[in-house]
Amino acid sequence: MRFNPAALRPFRTGAVVTLGLFAAGVALRPLEAPAWESIRAGQPALRLESLKDALGQGVTVGLLGGFRAIVADLFWIRTNTIWEDNDLPGTQTSIKLVTAIDPRPHYFWLNGSRMIAYDMPNWRIDKAGGYDAVPEAVKRRFDEEQSAVAIRYLENALEYHPEDPILVLEIANVHLNRLKDHETAAALYLKASQHPEAPFYAARIHAELLRKLGRNAEAYAFLKKLHPTLPTEDLGAQADVVLGRIRELEEELHVPAAERFQPRPAASPAAVAP
Amino acid sequence: MSQPVSAISIQGLTKDFSVTLRGVKLRAVDALNLEVAEGQVYGLLGPNGSGKSTTIKIILGLLDATVGDVRVFGVPAHRVEARRNVGYLPEAPYFYRYLSGRELVKFYARVCGVSGTTLKARVDEVIDWVGLSGAADRRVGTYSKGMLQRIGLAQALVHDPKLIVLDEPTAGVDPVGSAEMCELIRKLKQQGKTVLITSHLLAQIEDVCDRVAILDRGKLIVEGSVLELVGQRDRQALIVDPLSEVDLVALRAWLEARGHHLNAVEQPRARLDQLFLSKVSRPGRPGGASAGVGSNEVPLDAKP
Amino acid sequence: MSVASVPFSFSRLSLIAGNTFLEAVRQKLFNFLLLLAVGLVASAQFFREFNFGSSELKFIADFGFGALIFFGSALTIATTAQLFFSEIENRTALTLLAKPLWRAEFVFGKFLGVFAVIGVFCALTIGLMMALLWHREGQLMEMRPEDFANGRLIAYGDLLVVGVLQWLKFGVLTAIVLLIASFSNTNLFTVVTGFFVLVICHLQYLARDAWGNVDNPLVGLVVRALGFIFPNFQLFNLADQVGQGAGVSPVVALQVAGYAVAYIAVIGGLAVYSFRNREI
Repeated sequence: MRFNPAALRPFRTGAVVTLGLFAAGVALRPLEAPAWESIRAGQPALRLESLKDALGQGVTVGLLGGFRAIVADLFWIRTNTIWEDNDLPGTQTSIKLVTAIDPRPHYFWLNGSRMIAYDMPNWRIDKAGGYDAVPEAVKRRFDEEQSAVAIRYLENALEYHPEDPILVLEIANVHLNRLKDHETAAALYLKASQHPEAPFYAARIHAELLRKLGRNAEAYAFLKKLHPTLPTEDLGAQADVVLGRIRELEEELHVPAAERFQPRPAASPAAVAP
Repeated sequence: MSQPVSAISIQGLTKDFSVTLRGVKLRAVDALNLEVAEGQVYGLLGPNGSGKSTTIKIILGLLDATVGDVRVFGVPAHRVEARRNVGYLPEAPYFYRYLSGRELVKFYARVCGVSGTTLKARVDEVIDWVGLSGAADRRVGTYSKGMLQRIGLAQALVHDPKLIVLDEPTAGVDPVGSAEMCELIRKLKQQGKTVLITSHLLAQIEDVCDRVAILDRGKLIVEGSVLELVGQRDRQALIVDPLSEVDLVALRAWLEARGHHLNAVEQPRARLDQLFLSKVSRPGRPGGASAGVGSNEVPLDAKP
Repeated sequence: MSVASVPFSFSRLSLIAGNTFLEAVRQKLFNFLLLLAVGLVASAQFFREFNFGSSELKFIADFGFGALIFFGSALTIATTAQLFFSEIENRTALTLLAKPLWRAEFVFGKFLGVFAVIGVFCALTIGLMMALLWHREGQLMEMRPEDFANGRLIAYGDLLVVGVLQWLKFGVLTAIVLLIASFSNTNLFTVVTGFFVLVICHLQYLARDAWGNVDNPLVGLVVRALGFIFPNFQLFNLADQVGQGAGVSPVVALQVAGYAVAYIAVIGGLAVYSFRNREI
């Protein structure tokens, strides 16, 4: 005859299961840790204190549970509907909420900043009586205020994407297009162009802005240094356009023929053109 | 010469269920001893909660004994090997509704290791045996309760087990279905199978069982052959045409002159289930008023 | 008395799995959730209302994976619990376990059946999402060639890898629900507990982060233990990365897959142990 203490069986089973799970967790940690480190690096920390009130508990748990991207998408769609109503505070709050939820996509930062810097001054002018009624000084103030908000917003983006050339270019665009501040814009285009993943046009715009600022010699030196770095096989690099500008600057600066820039023979077929 | 192995051997079986975390127990079976010999139809009787189903589940290895030893053909019941020769029909089974009867039996046959060329033949045979050939390709979800019991019996028999355990096989089934189930149990006995059957419908058990055990609150109250338990060997009943008062007095005097006593004079009655079976038609059995009960019985059995 | 033993049989296991699969795909719940997931993925058409440009593809991928993860989790928990308890309630578990069948064959058969169902769900959802992305990306390439100067933006191979990893995660979840069902008495308890455990597994990384900051050493120890007891489901959260065009490292994918397979084996084994002790 055998005796089974039946009352103890559920506790024994529970203990074995718990210990088994714990042992598995410990044993699998070396397999999990490197993968987790890599995945974690791609997931910026959530700043919960800024989200809890806006989202409520349920959505916050969803965010923590791995639904950040889709929640951010949904809030972005909502941002678009608010934007269609020209609701400035609502749109601005919603834009910031989206990037607080998921700061990873560039799309949110770029389009959010454009709404702030390019659309919102027009809304404010409309609200103040329209383009004809609002004095130029006031329009200018609206531009400056909204641009400042957009720039701060993009600088916040740089905390998540340090040195990112696309974001630096966007700040430069605001300085150039909205504030007409060529000096700052030129510096920012230069900064962006120095990033290995920067688009080729950043350097070209920097040089053009130097010319607009009257710093032709500086622009000429910059372009001469730039041209040899441009890949001829990549049409986006537009090496022939850069060479054309070098030639224009040589004319403007009266550079003697002997001292003129000589592209490497293999650099570009366009180099032979005058 | 070694002693023949019992189909089921239960020695000192006690089963406790823990009711609360503090260790309060419910004793479902209490020190039960039973031996079921091979080839018998054995009835396990008792009211609800008497421990019948618990005992069956321990025999099938679905529950462990708290104390005691349970063997099936000599193999401890908790071992998987013990179930090789066992077929089981639970109480009120539902089965997989989306399968046809044939698919269902085939599934259970394959689980039991029936395969190859024997599979189809065995499935067809057992479906025919339980009288479901006509409905074998219908979905089980469309079956009546009686048909469910019969397809349940088919799955229990498909691997040709030596022991068949039937838990309340007629519960919730109409008298026609019950009678058919009893008929099938008799056929199983004729084939030499051992059948363990639980029921609280005592009349049915009485008709088919060789031996019965009655349980109450987990304890064995009575055990023995049906004849030993319910037959009155010191009494006899005579069934005659109606007697006049004068003839009755004369008969009484005649009996007393020979040292006998006339104990009762009653109007004989048919059993209601048998009256029912004689009047209603039975599916798949044209003119079935007389079909169903054993061929060695008269349809209207008179009892004093 | 010596009796020939009944060996563990993959044939019986696959029979249980096949039957479980058949039962599951004939359930309304599976069709309903599949329809919802397909509907959500297909609703990507809605994004055309907004001029998202090439970022529309990110939205399609996010919604596709969102549908996969959300409805896949619901389907896994509900289907596993339902299929397990239907066997208990319909007493088919009794008829099966009264046959020469190991409980391990029953539990792993159930697991494989549900895992196959979830596999079909994942394949259909991911397949539809990839088809939509391919079609829309082709249209956008014609409309905005400047955004696609370097060819297609979506790494379809990575989408497939993430889909497979999600399927493996649902495999771990299936094993967890089977473990809960192995001792639970009701379908409802199993489903509710399954959802709680799902949330805990998704959030356990927070406990791991937090244990060092807990003042009370006992509480700290408990918090740390929780980080070991529950699997880390955030490990499978590669969908966001892929949606944003970042690739999946093959080494990381293999590590995550190995983690899932190991957990399926361990939790499945514990479910068998627990179920063997269950009185049905």
